[in-house]
Amino acid sequence: MSTSDEDSRGALRSILPPEAVDRFLDTCNDHGWLLLGLGTVAAVSLPVLGLEAGYFMTVITEMFLFAILALSWDIVGGQTGYPSFGNMAFFGIGAYTTAILTKDFAFAFPVAFVLAGVAAVAIAAVIGAVVLRLRGHYFAIATLGVLLAAQQVSRILDITGGASGKILLQTPSGETFYFLFLAVLVVEMGVVYYLSSTRFGFVLNAIRDDEEKATAMGFNTTYYKTAAWMLAALFTGFAGGAYSLFNTFIDPQTAYNGAWNVELIAMALLGGSGTVAGPVIGAFGLHTIIEIVESYAVGWQLVLLGGAVIVTVIGFPNGVVGTLREYASEMDYYKHGGMAATNDDAEVSSDE
Amino acid sequence: MSKATAGTETAVESDRAVLRTDGVTKRFGGLTAVSDVNVEIHRGEIVGLIGPNGAGKSTLFNCITGTLTPDEGQVYLQGEDVTDWPEHKIARAGLGRMFQETRVFGDMTVRKNLLLAAQEGGADVGNLLRRPDDSLLARTDELLDYVDLAGLADTRAGRMSFGQQKLLEFAMELMSEPEILLMDEPAGGINPSMLENLIDYIRNANEDEETTIFLIEHNMDFVMEIADRIYVLAHGERIAEGTPEEIQNDQTVLDAYLGRE
Repeated sequence: MSTSDEDSRGALRSILPPEAVDRFLDTCNDHGWLLLGLGTVAAVSLPVLGLEAGYFMTVITEMFLFAILALSWDIVGGQTGYPSFGNMAFFGIGAYTTAILTKDFAFAFPVAFVLAGVAAVAIAAVIGAVVLRLRGHYFAIATLGVLLAAQQVSRILDITGGASGKILLQTPSGETFYFLFLAVLVVEMGVVYYLSSTRFGFVLNAIRDDEEKATAMGFNTTYYKTAAWMLAALFTGFAGGAYSLFNTFIDPQTAYNGAWNVELIAMALLGGSGTVAGPVIGAFGLHTIIEIVESYAVGWQLVLLGGAVIVTVIGFPNGVVGTLREYASEMDYYKHGGMAATNDDAEVSSDE
Repeated sequence: MSKATAGTETAVESDRAVLRTDGVTKRFGGLTAVSDVNVEIHRGEIVGLIGPNGAGKSTLFNCITGTLTPDEGQVYLQGEDVTDWPEHKIARAGLGRMFQETRVFGDMTVRKNLLLAAQEGGADVGNLLRRPDDSLLARTDELLDYVDLAGLADTRAGRMSFGQQKLLEFAMELMSEPEILLMDEPAGGINPSMLENLIDYIRNANEDEETTIFLIEHNMDFVMEIADRIYVLAHGERIAEGTPEEIQNDQTVLDAYLGRE
C-alpha cells in the first residue's frame, strides 16, 4: 500500500470516523420502523403536496416498482445466497394474470391483483421444489431456463395474446399505481426487516453462509429456501400484476424482460445485498441514473448498466450499505478482545 | 438367571446406549470405506475414535449423522432406528456435530450464530417467526462469557481467529444441548494453551450438561487423557476397543499405526 493511499485513507477517517458511521448504522437498524414510517410519509406527501400524474410521477412509480423487484430478488439472492436469474418469470405470471382476468373475465382489478400474487406463489412452490435442489451456477442457469420457458409459453398460448400481447385500455389512474406500488414496497420492506430479526431470517442467512452446517444443525433447508422463494414470488407477482395495467400493454418481451432481470440484480448488488435498505437504495439510485441517461443519450442505458455491474462487483462487492458497514466495523474485532487474533488470524483475514 | 431378568437387563443396556451402530458398511465404488462396524456409546461417556488416515473414521461419522446412508447395517439413536432418516431430522433428534474444518456462519454475528443453534421450539413456524426472547439472549451471553468471547457478540463470526471460531462452534453445540455430540478432531490446529481450555470445556459439558461425546482425534495425548473408551479403525474395520491403557498396549493397534498388517 503506497503512502499517499495511506494518507487519503487517514484523511477519510478524520472526516468520517468509522465510529460515527457505526453509530449511524446502529441507529438506523434500531429504528427501522421509524425510518420506514418517515419514508412512507415523505412518499405519500409528494402527491398531496402537488405532484401530479405525468412524467415525474411515472418515474417515481417505476422506482418503487424496481425497488420491489430488487428487494424480492434479494430475499433469495442476497439473504439466502441463491442468485436467481429467473425472478422475472413471476413478474410475467403476475402481469398476465391481471391482464387476462380483467380483460377476458371482467374481474375487478383489486381481485385480479390479489390473484396475481397467489398465482405467482403457487407456481413458485412447484418450480422451487425442483430448482432449489441445485446450487450455485447450476441454480442460476436453471432459473434462467425457467424465465425463457415461461416467456416461450406466453408466446404460444392464445389466452396470453401470443407474441403480439395484450392491450389494456381500462386501467386505473396513474396516482392509483403510485400508491399501490408504494404500499407493496412498504409492506415488503416491513416484512423483510421483521424477518431479519427472527430465527427464520437467521436460518436464511445460515443457508447462505454454509448450507451443510445448517442441515447438520437440524434445519430442513429445502423448506426454508422454498418459503423464501415463495415470499419473493409473492411480491414479484404483485409487482407484475400491477405493472400490466400500469403499462396498459403486456407482451412476452415486457412481461419476461431478461434485461430487467439483470437490472434488478445490479440494483440489489449496488445498494448492498443481504440488507433491507440496500436493494431499495440501489433501485432508486440506478433507476434515476438510467432515466437520466435515457433522456440525454438514448440507447446507452444498457451499456451503463453493464459498466455499473462490473464496477460494483470489482470495487464494492458489498454494495453501498455493505461497504459502509464494513468501514464502520473495521476496528470492531480488535476493540472487543480480538487481540489474540494478531498472531494467528492471517488465514482468516485473507479470505475476507 | 430367569428370562425376565435377562430381558430387563437388555432393555436397560440398550437404554444406556445413546448411539449404536450395527454392522455399518459403506462402499464407494470398489472401495469399502467402512466395513461392518459396531460401536456403542453409553450415556455420559466420552468415547474416542482413532485410526490412521483413511481408516474410515469420518465416513463412519457421516453414516451416523445421515450425511451418507450406509449400504448395510443400522444406526440407532436412543434405541430408535435412524438409518434412513434425513440428516436434519437426526440432528433434531439430539445429535450434534462439530466439523473437522471448523464451520460457523461467517457473515453472521457471533450472537446470531448462537441464537440459531438453540433448539428450543425447534422448527415450529410460530417460534421461528418470533424474535428471540430474553431467556435465549441471556443464555447466549452466559455461553459467550463461558468461552471468553463475551466482547465479540456483535462481531462477524468470520472475522475471528480459527481458535475462536472453534470455541464459538463448541458454544453453539452447548446452546443446542444435544444428547450426543460428535466431534471431528476438536484438537486439530489449535495451540497448546487453548487445548487445555478445550479439555476443560469438553469435560464440563460431559459432567455438568451430561452430554455424551464421541470424538475422532489424531492427537494421542489428548484422546488418551480425555476418553473413557476408545475404538480403533483401520482400513474401514474396527480392529480394537478398550480403555486408553488397553489401546496403548494393543499390538494390533501399534501394527496398524506402524503400517504393518
